[in-house]
Amino acid sequence: MAKIELCGVSYVYSSKTPFEKKAVNNIDVAIEEGSITGIIGHTGSGKSTLVQILNGLLEPTSGKVLFNGADMHAKKTKLSDIRFKVGLVFQYPEYQLFEETVESDIAYGPKNMGLDKAEIEKRVHDAAKFCGIEEAILKKSPFELSGGQQRRVAIAGVMAMTPEVLILDEPAAGLDPQGRSDIFGGICEYRRKTGATVIIVSHSMEDIARYCENVLVMSKGEVFDYGSCDKIFERSDELEAIGLDIPQIARLLRRVGEMGVSFDKNIYTVGEAYRSIIPFIKGGGGSAS
Amino acid sequence: MSKFIEIKNLSFSYPGDSQNPCVPVLHDINLEIDKGEFVAILGRNGSGKSTLAKLLNLILVPSSGTVSVGGKLLSSDMSEEEIIEVRKCIGMVFQNPDNQLVATVVEEDIAFGPENLGVEPEEIRRRVDQALEIVGMTEFAKHSPHQLSGGQKQRIAIAGIIAIMPECIVFDESTAMLDPHGRKEVMRTIETLNREKGITVITITHNMEEAVCADKVVVIDHGTIVKQGSPKEVFSRPEELWGLGLSVPQVTELFDMLRCLGAELPEGVISEEEGAQLLFELLRS
Repeated sequence: MAKIELCGVSYVYSSKTPFEKKAVNNIDVAIEEGSITGIIGHTGSGKSTLVQILNGLLEPTSGKVLFNGADMHAKKTKLSDIRFKVGLVFQYPEYQLFEETVESDIAYGPKNMGLDKAEIEKRVHDAAKFCGIEEAILKKSPFELSGGQQRRVAIAGVMAMTPEVLILDEPAAGLDPQGRSDIFGGICEYRRKTGATVIIVSHSMEDIARYCENVLVMSKGEVFDYGSCDKIFERSDELEAIGLDIPQIARLLRRVGEMGVSFDKNIYTVGEAYRSIIPFIKGGGGSAS
Repeated sequence: MSKFIEIKNLSFSYPGDSQNPCVPVLHDINLEIDKGEFVAILGRNGSGKSTLAKLLNLILVPSSGTVSVGGKLLSSDMSEEEIIEVRKCIGMVFQNPDNQLVATVVEEDIAFGPENLGVEPEEIRRRVDQALEIVGMTEFAKHSPHQLSGGQKQRIAIAGIIAIMPECIVFDESTAMLDPHGRKEVMRTIETLNREKGITVITITHNMEEAVCADKVVVIDHGTIVKQGSPKEVFSRPEELWGLGLSVPQVTELFDMLRCLGAELPEGVISEEEGAQLLFELLRS
């Protein structure tokens, strides 16, 4: 079933002024419940506008947004309820930390949902666990923490609302490789435990290939393509033409392919590449031509 | 002959106050950088990379030890003129392009640096045109910076530094916020500056594929230099880098896994070209 569905959605900034700008145009996309979807696109392709439409922060200029099959902007829908169910983590979310302790910062969302004290406490601890935040840190001021730790606290603050859909805009930007894999590990863990639908915006093709099932490619405000990683990364030349790329490992194997050794299938992660090469090394097998 | 940048027994702590003790960041750093060299500095968040960069042009002053640039010892006793000379010599480009542009027209933004240094108008014109040409943005001279893409804005920020004619440019995660195309544009510009214009480049990055382009890779952890060498040397032991919160390019990771399986392959394969050739020979046989 589609968790969120966009039907003919367009959004125009500064409509009816000389500065009118169409940010997204006629988008038709259905995000399946429980899936993990990556959104890629060049700067200014409409990704950030799109994610704000997905959680109801922006109302489309035309078209419909369906959440669990119901119109998100119908009169009877309470948008605040939608926003508790569709959590959005902005780019550099650590700039939004404000409370005196890490614990109360993470508790801010659940508190606003009107939950009781015991439930809030449970949510804070669960969210901290997903994000690898140790108990000892909960009592500290968020401003004493390193950038990577602050990022985790900010993400935990959204997870504590246990949204059915978790959307993250460049969650790992500016982090070191270890920090990146910790953040993505936490997101995958949240999804595994809660069955949530996850949407990740990223400029890293390697991370998208590694963590996402589906990819939505945006270009100039429109959907360029939408489908499985295999389907998307197969179009490497076209992706490059719209300012994107494919993972390095895929570029490597493509080169080898051009030299005359062909592989069975599309490969976009190091693990897949490794498994496909093993038979060659162990003697025989594979499909060298 | 003395090196272009010489760092000796450098330590640095951010000053504390009555409530907080001072925060030690760098300990006993020794590093030499040649003129025209391309150096990549790697290290996890909070390891001290950016602090080190700020010590190179007197944004910060060492707690102990010395930094000299072009044979001149940097110190807080320098006169304002001397400090300006140092800052003219070492330019910096930071992460967020939106925070580095000041004017409403691209060419005025690039002229901002030389104007403030009192350069003659004709000379400013010449430098602005040249800087635009080097970063490949000549056709955007009259544009407004906010209409540009991230990669284009970052190239304008770089042009603004080039117009000051530094001998060395430090790029502090200058590609971190860019899309793949913008990243490539900026990396190409950095390589041109280094290989063709002879500018010394120091790049601080979390992107291992970018570090591969450098002549020398320096790894900092907890404020000390823990590894130093050519990209091939540094990336030849992936497990050591993982232990430092870092990683290796995907090509290197794949070859390391295949080596562990017993395949006869060299260590430290870092480029796609080399990797493709080796893999082709391995699979063909």
